[in-house]
Amino acid sequence: MNDELLEKLKILSDAAKYDVSCVSSGVERKNNTVGGIGNAAASGICHTWSADGRCISLLKILLTNDCIYDCHYCSNRVTNNVKRATFTPEEVAELTIQFYRRNYIEGLFLSSAVVKNPDYTMENIYKTLELLRNKYNFWGYIHVKVIPGADPLLIQKTGMLADRMSVNIELPTKESLKILAPQKKIENIILPMSQINNEITRTIEDKKSFKSTPRFVPGGQSTQMIVGATADSDKTILNVSQNLYDRFNMKRVFFSAYIPVISSPNLPAVSTVPPLKREHRLYQADWLMRFYYFKSEELFTEIDRNLDLEFDPKIMYAFRNIDKFPIEINKASYEELLRVPGLGVTSAKRIIKERKNAELSYDSLRKMKTVLKRAQYFITVKGKYYGNTKLEPEAIKNELRFKEIQKQMSIFDYMQ
Amino acid sequence: MDYLYDGTFEGLLTCIYYHYKKENACNIFEKSSYQQSIINDFEIVETDANKAKVVLDAINNKISNEAYVDIYYCYLSDVENKENIILQFLVFAFKYGRNTMNFYSHEKVLPLNEASLKVFKEEHRFLGILRFSDIGGVLYAKFSPDSDLLVLIVDHFADRYKYEKFIIHDIRRNKAVVYSQNFWEVIENVNIENIEYSSKEKLIQSLWKQYFTGLAIKERTNIDLQFQFVPNRYRKNITEFNV
Repeated sequence: MNDELLEKLKILSDAAKYDVSCVSSGVERKNNTVGGIGNAAASGICHTWSADGRCISLLKILLTNDCIYDCHYCSNRVTNNVKRATFTPEEVAELTIQFYRRNYIEGLFLSSAVVKNPDYTMENIYKTLELLRNKYNFWGYIHVKVIPGADPLLIQKTGMLADRMSVNIELPTKESLKILAPQKKIENIILPMSQINNEITRTIEDKKSFKSTPRFVPGGQSTQMIVGATADSDKTILNVSQNLYDRFNMKRVFFSAYIPVISSPNLPAVSTVPPLKREHRLYQADWLMRFYYFKSEELFTEIDRNLDLEFDPKIMYAFRNIDKFPIEINKASYEELLRVPGLGVTSAKRIIKERKNAELSYDSLRKMKTVLKRAQYFITVKGKYYGNTKLEPEAIKNELRFKEIQKQMSIFDYMQ
Repeated sequence: MDYLYDGTFEGLLTCIYYHYKKENACNIFEKSSYQQSIINDFEIVETDANKAKVVLDAINNKISNEAYVDIYYCYLSDVENKENIILQFLVFAFKYGRNTMNFYSHEKVLPLNEASLKVFKEEHRFLGILRFSDIGGVLYAKFSPDSDLLVLIVDHFADRYKYEKFIIHDIRRNKAVVYSQNFWEVIENVNIENIEYSSKEKLIQSLWKQYFTGLAIKERTNIDLQFQFVPNRYRKNITEFNV
């Protein structure tokens, strides 16, 4: 029995690990029910970090990997010869509670392959949540995947029990989806997204009149796109994600570098290295658009529809708009400070706050723990420029490359 | 004059009180770790809750609640000479009043900010990496934090495990917080050793380890990053890092 459980957990967590999201933030909830266990912290809590450096916050598993679909990029597809396993809702609930009591996790991230049909699958997901919330009285964080094509009523019922829901868009264009996931229809992905968004808005409105109205997925919805399995450009990907933020109030759009698990004529060869750097650049660009007031067109040019891999998107923007620099630290507005490569939200806010007392010097920037490695080339402090080179993109690039080599050399020294 | 206090927060604030009302303090030390100086006289200060409250109110009213929180966090840190950092900060802050916290990088403010940030970060980290095990129905966790975190983290777990009984044991300081039925208290001089796990407890630990190991994506392996997030010194009390 115990070995069987171990084996199941192995199969069903292995199948779930390529889902990127492990976020447990956005919901603040106290443990208010009699006999209840668990609460939720708005900031989210990471519980451990796996050998790939990713934060583990939730128990991320599939209810089953026994799938009727045949999506080319997925290792659980029906025609692939893998071991199959299925958890009962009881088993998932029990495992979640036992992990939670020991503070291993913040909650559950439940997903599933499509077994029999979407409704049957969604029903089982609902049953698991219903057990956890009503029988076990569990008030920790729960994120569930919506099964595209499931009955809207089931989605609605499940959403009343979950903290976050997500429907994976998988690929940025209809054409790509047709090639790689022929049984998935774009309507079946978009419909639940818009349903979730409407439900969220509705319960927020209702809450204004009736304080006791329970919220529908208070942590909002997110989605995920695979990067590098198709020829879609970064610009296409970011435009689609911009659209998703605007239309459905997405909390996050996650990108997942395609890791070849299967050989198929429609996919990159199995030997292909996953485009991790590209994924990283997309996250940076996504961040710039959401928190730094950048527009997607500012990150690309007419010719270049992909982000640079050597330098980050913000410094590339600065190189293309070098005439807007240097920026005087003591005068620049908050928005201008945010455009300086290397300056983040924390540094910018700190600069604004601190310069009210006295004009800032280069040294005070250092003491404020501002990272100046890149910023120094794009700012002046009390009128003085501190970059050790001319304000020209090529010269700055060379300086930064040199610093990178130096850094690697010093690591090498250290190892000897 | 060096003032010596009993190690409590109120004792420290009492010293601050005497700094203003009696004689300026050169420095403040914890009684048990004081090495007598040849230059300064010293005085052992008896903790006085009323005097401490006067200082506390002055901090809240004349500086800010933010400053109070930073002072308390600094006090809980293991930073060397934290008492002097607090003293120096307060001397500066009572002059500049409500504006003080804008001087983030000032030499009298920065050390306090840094110490309190360190505690704040460690507090948040342990909300995640503290590990309990079920010992006959009681949840038991041991840890060895740099800062004195017990009173900072207990409320989080008291809410989360409201209907459980739990013990969080700081093995570095030999003290523990014990919680049961909406009530907790800190107990000093605690020694708990040689815990035997039940077979169910062992099963759940092995399920968790299995889950933890399996989750890493081979193609993304990044051990350095993992070390940044979970430094070596914390690992011996974290279930999944121990065989």
